[in-house]
Amino acid sequence: MTTRPTLLLAALIAAPALAQDKVTFATNWKAQAAHGGFYQAVADGTYRKYGLDVTIQPGGPQVNNRPLLPAGRIDFLMTGNLLHNFDNVKNGVPTVVVAAMFQKDPQALIAHPGQGYEKFEALKNAPVALIAKDGQFSWWQWLKVTHGFRDEALKPYNYNLGPFLANKRAIQQGYSVAEPIYVENQGQFKPVVHLLAEHGFSTYSTLIETRVDTVKNKPDLVQRFVDASILGWVNYLYGNRSAANALMIKDNPEMTVAELEASVALMKQQGIVDSGDSLAKGIGAMNEARIEDFYAQMVKAGLYKPGEVDLAKVATFQFVNKKVGLDLKTKLGGK
Amino acid sequence: MRIERALPLATFAASLLGWEALVRLAQIPHYTLPAPSLVLQTLFANFGSLATSWWFTLKITLGALVLACAGGVLIAAVFALSRSIERALFPVAVVLQVTPVVAIAPLILIYVESTTAALLLCAWIVAFFPILSNTVIGLRSADANLKDLFRLYRATPWQRLRLLLVPSALPYFIAGLKVSGGLSLIGAVTAEMVAGAAGRETGLASRILEASFRTETPKMFAALLLLVLTGVLVFWSFEALSKALLGRWHASERKD
Amino acid sequence: MSTPIVALEEVDKRFEGGVQALAGVNLQVAPGEFVTLLGPSGCGKSTVLRLAAGLDTPSAGRIDAPALRSSRADTAFVFQDATLMPWASVADNVWLPLRLAGEGRAQARPRVDRALATVGLAEFADAFPRQLSGGMRMRVSIARALVTQPTLLLMDEPFAALDEITRQKLNGDVLAARQAQGFATLFVTHSVYEAAFLSQRVLVMSARPGRVVAEVGIPEPYPRGAGFRNSGRFIETCAALSAALEGAHA
Repeated sequence: MTTRPTLLLAALIAAPALAQDKVTFATNWKAQAAHGGFYQAVADGTYRKYGLDVTIQPGGPQVNNRPLLPAGRIDFLMTGNLLHNFDNVKNGVPTVVVAAMFQKDPQALIAHPGQGYEKFEALKNAPVALIAKDGQFSWWQWLKVTHGFRDEALKPYNYNLGPFLANKRAIQQGYSVAEPIYVENQGQFKPVVHLLAEHGFSTYSTLIETRVDTVKNKPDLVQRFVDASILGWVNYLYGNRSAANALMIKDNPEMTVAELEASVALMKQQGIVDSGDSLAKGIGAMNEARIEDFYAQMVKAGLYKPGEVDLAKVATFQFVNKKVGLDLKTKLGGK
Repeated sequence: MRIERALPLATFAASLLGWEALVRLAQIPHYTLPAPSLVLQTLFANFGSLATSWWFTLKITLGALVLACAGGVLIAAVFALSRSIERALFPVAVVLQVTPVVAIAPLILIYVESTTAALLLCAWIVAFFPILSNTVIGLRSADANLKDLFRLYRATPWQRLRLLLVPSALPYFIAGLKVSGGLSLIGAVTAEMVAGAAGRETGLASRILEASFRTETPKMFAALLLLVLTGVLVFWSFEALSKALLGRWHASERKD
Repeated sequence: MSTPIVALEEVDKRFEGGVQALAGVNLQVAPGEFVTLLGPSGCGKSTVLRLAAGLDTPSAGRIDAPALRSSRADTAFVFQDATLMPWASVADNVWLPLRLAGEGRAQARPRVDRALATVGLAEFADAFPRQLSGGMRMRVSIARALVTQPTLLLMDEPFAALDEITRQKLNGDVLAARQAQGFATLFVTHSVYEAAFLSQRVLVMSARPGRVVAEVGIPEPYPRGAGFRNSGRFIETCAALSAALEGAHA
């Protein structure tokens, strides 16, 4: 089974212009700055240089790309937090995490200013909490057990800011690097933002997940995709991202350059992508201890029973922690 | 008679066996298409929580149906009494009927406070039109000669309603009811799918969503099975009701 | 004629859309008399019945009839269609006029049973209209008409849809009931034979607009039976009626 990747590599060396592997990568939302690194790698040809012809398949409000991965319809999947991966392992779905592009999960709760929600503890008393389906079945459960949030306040969030803007006492979910920008644009006020990561939700985010048999049979392909994606993120954050922005606006016409740039600034400011481990080991870095710690927290929150998930199967570390992109970052000035 | 009953049961059993065989022989993974045996296992393992959701979906479906009956019949009576009111309001009813509930549901969820009320409203919108439309026709379908007869014998309006209009309308109303039964379930499920409500008061649609998000495909199928059962139950109940009320006299219940 | 039970005086009836159904119709029915309106389709015979029943109002002229004096059960109507309530049993159908007048089922039962016996359907009291033949349903309709012991019976081509044998039997039944109860009858038909067999007077009508153009008296005494039907007088009567009909057409 190792002859295939070897042959591929040989072919690559022999004819770099010809051997392009077709790869589909599905994201978990419409194109936004939180996907910037991947679009960058497409826009500036990094994927192509690594012999990959990558198609990015965006997610969206009613779209659930996740079943496509085990079904073989896509090659790589972006997941928002480790809970999805824990579930897959628990249910015997043969997928595995190969990289964690975000060191911090930007999942946040936002609230109106001046309503007493400046402290995180006050959020649980909000009369209305607008949470979307995905969150309802994952981190909301953790909020209930660990921080005392109640189902009485829960209302479905359909990705429409209207109900939140109209009700000063309401709180809603969002990405700390995205929704606050939209709220400021539409509602003309700066919302209070509480990052779940700062209150114990210690998961990695924007994880790259793929099938177990892809890792087994095409490890070289996986490595190339991970490396090119890491470089894409370095270029997006620290280099010239105008082409990537243009590509994202093409995929999501409602997005604007101003929103994208504001989002990038927040990502850097909050250390979402590049902080902690990634500063020394490169973007995408992961370690076992962090995954185990997060799992233990989720067990405490009642989402899983101890030992229900074989953590060894959740992620493989063979593709990251190799300092990929660090010198590029230095070259670009890394700020 | 026995063959009548045996045939659908045999077909059903055969399909189940075929499904099981297909999954085993083609080695289809359980997270893509679970075998019926696995679905049933999952159903029994999770019956406690699934039953609670089942009850909720049933409540919404039946609640919406009752409200659809009440609303549909009342509005139909008003329409039957006044042609001008009918002409004025019927377009509203039609608009409500043709607008897909998938599109309205998010809006309703924004405007209506209680999620349960929003779900009831969505299911009601879908279910009430057949009852309204059929009952209006039914009320108007009273035999002209019988109407003359009632006039001749100086029937009071109440007698006319009770002894002539209501029985005349009954077959049409029941036909509408049969349609609305299924629609009510679909409306309740669709609305909940859109709402994606989690939390205490949730129905089978939420459980299906939850299972899909957590990649628990056998559980999805188990919840789906309960939904299908509900639909079949509703259908059979109305068939029985129709037979009871119309069996002796209406052409639609003739045995041939 | 002593005070007629039904009287139309110079009655016009024009419908919406301009159709002149009746023009200058004059007719009278004496109490207990059997009068037939004979004529082709469209000559307004049914309109006359509806006016006499108070189901329509004339455009001009005067009408006097029991139904217009707002007394309850004096007029009965038998339509060409049996017009039974399909959701009710035979007995409940016959009960209807009494029920509408406020009588309970138990209270009315003896009269219902008697009416059914008159038309020979006593055993079918609990059957549903769906289970009966056309002729039987018409008999139920007649029983319903008779249950209130009306003084005036209006019949609009009631036997047109039945076969000849049933028709003749029902002709006999109507005459028998009339013999027993003594009601006046205004009968509409376009069968010369029926008119001849049943009536004391036949008013021949012509169409467009409807009006009475001839009157034929039939002095044959009651009760009338097969004897009359097979006699020469009957054939002559029929001939006279046919001639009058043709004359009305011309």
